[in-house]
Amino acid sequence: MKEIINIKGLKYTYPDGTTALCGIDLTVSEEESIGLIGPNGAGKSTLLLHLNGILRGKGQVQVLGLEIDDKNLISIRSKVGLVFQDPENQLFMPTVFDNVAFGPINTDLEKYRVEDSVRKALEEVEMEESAQRYAHHLSFGEKKRIALATVLSMNLEILLLDEPTSNLDPRARRHLIKLLKGFRVTKIVAGHDLEMILDICNRVVLLDQGKIIANGESKEIMGNKSLMEAHGLEVPLSLL
Amino acid sequence: MHLPEIDKYAHLSSPFHSWNPRIKLISIFLLILSIVLNPNLIIASFALLLAIVLVFLSKIPFSFVLIHLRWVLLFCLFFFIIMPLTVPGNEIIRLNFVSISWEGTKYASLITLRAISAVLLIFPMLGTMRFDATIKALQRLKVPNKFIQMIMFTYRYIFVFMEETRRMFIAANARVFKKRTNIRTLKIISNLIGMLFIHSFERTQNIYNSMVSRGYTGYLKTLDDDFRLCGKDFLKGFFIVAIALILTITGRIL
Repeated sequence: MKEIINIKGLKYTYPDGTTALCGIDLTVSEEESIGLIGPNGAGKSTLLLHLNGILRGKGQVQVLGLEIDDKNLISIRSKVGLVFQDPENQLFMPTVFDNVAFGPINTDLEKYRVEDSVRKALEEVEMEESAQRYAHHLSFGEKKRIALATVLSMNLEILLLDEPTSNLDPRARRHLIKLLKGFRVTKIVAGHDLEMILDICNRVVLLDQGKIIANGESKEIMGNKSLMEAHGLEVPLSLL
Repeated sequence: MHLPEIDKYAHLSSPFHSWNPRIKLISIFLLILSIVLNPNLIIASFALLLAIVLVFLSKIPFSFVLIHLRWVLLFCLFFFIIMPLTVPGNEIIRLNFVSISWEGTKYASLITLRAISAVLLIFPMLGTMRFDATIKALQRLKVPNKFIQMIMFTYRYIFVFMEETRRMFIAANARVFKKRTNIRTLKIISNLIGMLFIHSFERTQNIYNSMVSRGYTGYLKTLDDDFRLCGKDFLKGFFIVAIALILTITGRIL
């Protein structure tokens, strides 16, 4: 399959001196679903932020065949959707419609195409009746779904999700997993919900202290008790 | 918890609710301007009566208006305490070394009447349409984009900020914190406020990242709404602007 993300020797240190990534090499193929697992501070979220060009470390990051630089940034961001862990950060506009339309409007689409994208995205997350609701009136589960719609409206090719199921009740979690499984785009999911990652992703990348410790088939890596425990994780119950 | 939702009654039906947002914003803004710049006490009293009538016509419950008015009243109270004692002029009462002047009382009354009238008029102006309609109307009126973004983000995140404040106080109360009038309470509250600022700063960075990841380059774009203008909108606008003009002219004459 076509390679759509190619990372070579990526290193990143935060301004306060914390080294978050030290020499990441990773390739992702089209329509793959990859889980990023690892303990807190492993560098999962930092890696996701590099794929959308929000952070820029040393090394090479190619997304959809384009090098991440100022020239390609707008085109990359229109194809790579990033859903943040806290939906309050994603839903910064007053209404659901304005939030979902924010990305398409910034790509200078015509009005009818923006409205069409918003309608389709809301249908995908089963929230089509909520377009005119205020973001601050939504429940947490609804906010998560709308946060997902904010990137689905952008005709994306790569979906990046940071802890998509955190703080969700079991029903909302199940619903979100079902939605995510249905999307036919390349997905990279970072999180601690290992059962969800096992359910959605066919490959996992285990990160610890900014390095890739293991990269391979989900069941094989997540079923390796000694490997998981050595890096502050546990084997998912369904694999025991 | 009381949420400061200015558009809580935007769903009602009144002459203000059906008014075109752009004409409404301009007309009532001019009326507010004519009131706050008016130097006459009689006109200011009339303006207060007029503002009450307009709030009544907007059908927004007075209980809702009064909740929001309490801070303005508190603010005006300081003028009433300080100005009669500090502005020189004809004495009304003298108690030992303290004297209350007519001019001070007059200025304090003038400020209070104008402030209350202006705040009251905010309700028919902003409380009779959805907040997103206000934002779009401001954009159509070519109000500077940065100013609109400031208003929008303040309103959007005030609810998140209040929720975070509530959670922090619950966490403090859960560890047997009780508000008292002592230094320790002040220190704890200062620390909580400090933490809120740090959280706000972190959230700002995350929101900015989220905006940038969806193509934000510093200018807020929204879809144009299909604002329609009809004769009634202009008629209402003409009526309010005419009142503003009358108030201004009579204020100068009297």
